[in-house]
Amino acid sequence: MEQLIKDLKLQIKNALNLEELSLEEFDENAPLFGDEGIGLDSIDILEIIVLLEKEYGIRLANPKEGKAIFQSVKTIAEYVQANRKK
Amino acid sequence: MSVAITGFGILSAIGNDASAVLSSLKAGKTGIGPMRYLRSSHKELPVGEVKLSDEEMLRMLGQDEKAIISRTVLMGAIAIRQALEHANIDTQGKRVTVISGTTVGGMDITERFFKQIKDDDALLPLLEKHDCGSSTREMADLAGLKEAQVCTVSTACSSAVNAIILGSEMLKNNEADIVIAGGTEALSLFHLNGFNSLMILDKEQCRPFDKNRAGLNLGEGAAFVVLQSQPHFISPQGKRIVIRGYGNRCDAFHQTASSENGEGAFLAMSEALQMAELQPDDIQYINAHGTGTPNNDASESAAIRRVFGEKIPLVSSTKGFTGHTTSASGAIETVICILALLNDFVPSNYGWKEQDEACIEPYANSKFINSKFKISPLESILCNSFGFGGNDSALIISKSPLPAPPLGECLRQETCILGECIIDNVEQLGELREFVSAGEARRMSKLMKAATISSLKALREAGIETPDAIITATAFGMLETSEKFLVDMLENGEETLSPTLFMQSTHNTLSSAIAIRTKCHGYNMTYSQGKDSLEWALRDARRLIGTGKAKTVLVGYHDEATPTFQEFFRRMGKPVPQEIYSRSIVLGATKNA
Repeated sequence: MEQLIKDLKLQIKNALNLEELSLEEFDENAPLFGDEGIGLDSIDILEIIVLLEKEYGIRLANPKEGKAIFQSVKTIAEYVQANRKK
Repeated sequence: MSVAITGFGILSAIGNDASAVLSSLKAGKTGIGPMRYLRSSHKELPVGEVKLSDEEMLRMLGQDEKAIISRTVLMGAIAIRQALEHANIDTQGKRVTVISGTTVGGMDITERFFKQIKDDDALLPLLEKHDCGSSTREMADLAGLKEAQVCTVSTACSSAVNAIILGSEMLKNNEADIVIAGGTEALSLFHLNGFNSLMILDKEQCRPFDKNRAGLNLGEGAAFVVLQSQPHFISPQGKRIVIRGYGNRCDAFHQTASSENGEGAFLAMSEALQMAELQPDDIQYINAHGTGTPNNDASESAAIRRVFGEKIPLVSSTKGFTGHTTSASGAIETVICILALLNDFVPSNYGWKEQDEACIEPYANSKFINSKFKISPLESILCNSFGFGGNDSALIISKSPLPAPPLGECLRQETCILGECIIDNVEQLGELREFVSAGEARRMSKLMKAATISSLKALREAGIETPDAIITATAFGMLETSEKFLVDMLENGEETLSPTLFMQSTHNTLSSAIAIRTKCHGYNMTYSQGKDSLEWALRDARRLIGTGKAKTVLVGYHDEATPTFQEFFRRMGKPVPQEIYSRSIVLGATKNA
């Protein structure tokens, strides 16, 4: 799980071009969306969906399903752990 | 003054000419179905294709069947020929302008041959027909209008309505005798996959305004109208149709989503009514943009409710018949509105079943004719057309013209330059951080960065935060992001493509992003006509200021070249374009005109 969280942080940072966010500061429990946390938006959700399909073979048909999954890196990691195809 | 529509032509999934389109609408027959012509692996996606192969269209145009010509061009040329034939006019010795709305341009050919072009010099000339401007030139030539001036408008899905608006403005200002305006867009792998990456395509028949709507179906087609400044023109059948009003505004909210209260759409519809000197009550039918995405239909409904209050006229989206024909949709729907007026007929909202509280109730079923909805003879129709980036436009098409002021007396105000900035070196892009946070900059391509810096610096010099209007010009558009998306699609297949790249691929990306940044809800326009692009943009700005529609206009010319693109030019032995060039000018009215 720890390794998966580490991988996801790097993959998300690269996919979303979050240049100024250091991996050390990237808290897996911080909310990804909204003004409080990392501050991502709906297009970022779509990019993370692409990432999950590319890296883990997970296919999400409806971005709305993603709301609960995409709360934080931690919740994404839990979802990937349970559903990964590769 | 109103501009007369003296002819029209149309090619769409529901028919290859106007009478076939009318029959399908009356019979309730959709043109959306399984993919036949587009070579995509996404066979699960229904599409509204024109039921003609490229070879059949080449034959119709008297061309060699083996010629390689974009489907965008073929469909457009056929629609223009129909429109000219219908208008039955002699263009000899007249000032004729063809204005087309398109975003795809020659992309269907580029994506088919891109890999081969890399190794085969003989195919290089195909690239010269890639950009929107040259596809419009080729189309006008094929339609027999070699002498005509051409112009391409590219504001994503509202392109064609903006082409018709531009044509009307040119006629009112006596810049042309005859304008053939409309739009054309072929289905391409590029935008099918782009829309798919945004997850807004329905795998079933689309259902605009329905509670269970799940996205749009893409379609293709072309439609053109012949416009003349003869408000009293009456057709041989004793009919008269005019463009009575229009509005072009910007939602200035998001690159791919509409605001909840539909601000841009509200402003565009209101402006159109005002120009037409009509009250909401005077509109009997609205042909909605109604794409079938949850976001568009709710936002458009909110805007319609704001304009029309409790008394909403009949509304339908005809995209359940034609599919969303993107840049051509405004012209296809304009022709549908003309057919509705000529036949006192209201097309239904195909596919709608269940009321959504967030949406207006569309005119969806003929059983309503005698009960809930009462159809009176149609007099005036509102046609909505919205695009990515919040490029929202509306047209009012009517049987009765407005009183006409004398021609050519509209330009009363001279213009002057209030601020200017040129960015032509990537090293200057570091200045971006002066204006934009790291979080905002992370998605921006080089051209977006350059355009943002030059625009904001020019505005700063002019001492203006929000201009009245934004007009951009670009010959090739967003090459860096488009090429990345194209190469990824061609090399890795039609899966897992980046929505961020696609949403920054349309030509109006820059004008709408700058509108969002400067909170400019005013007129917003993008021209893509090769080396003439800037001149068209400046002409438009001078017209806006001259007629008193705007006091300050931000005009920008932005182009970029990727290494691949530069290599193509080198191989062709042509001057190699610069990596980046962005010039912004703020125009204002002179004080003592």
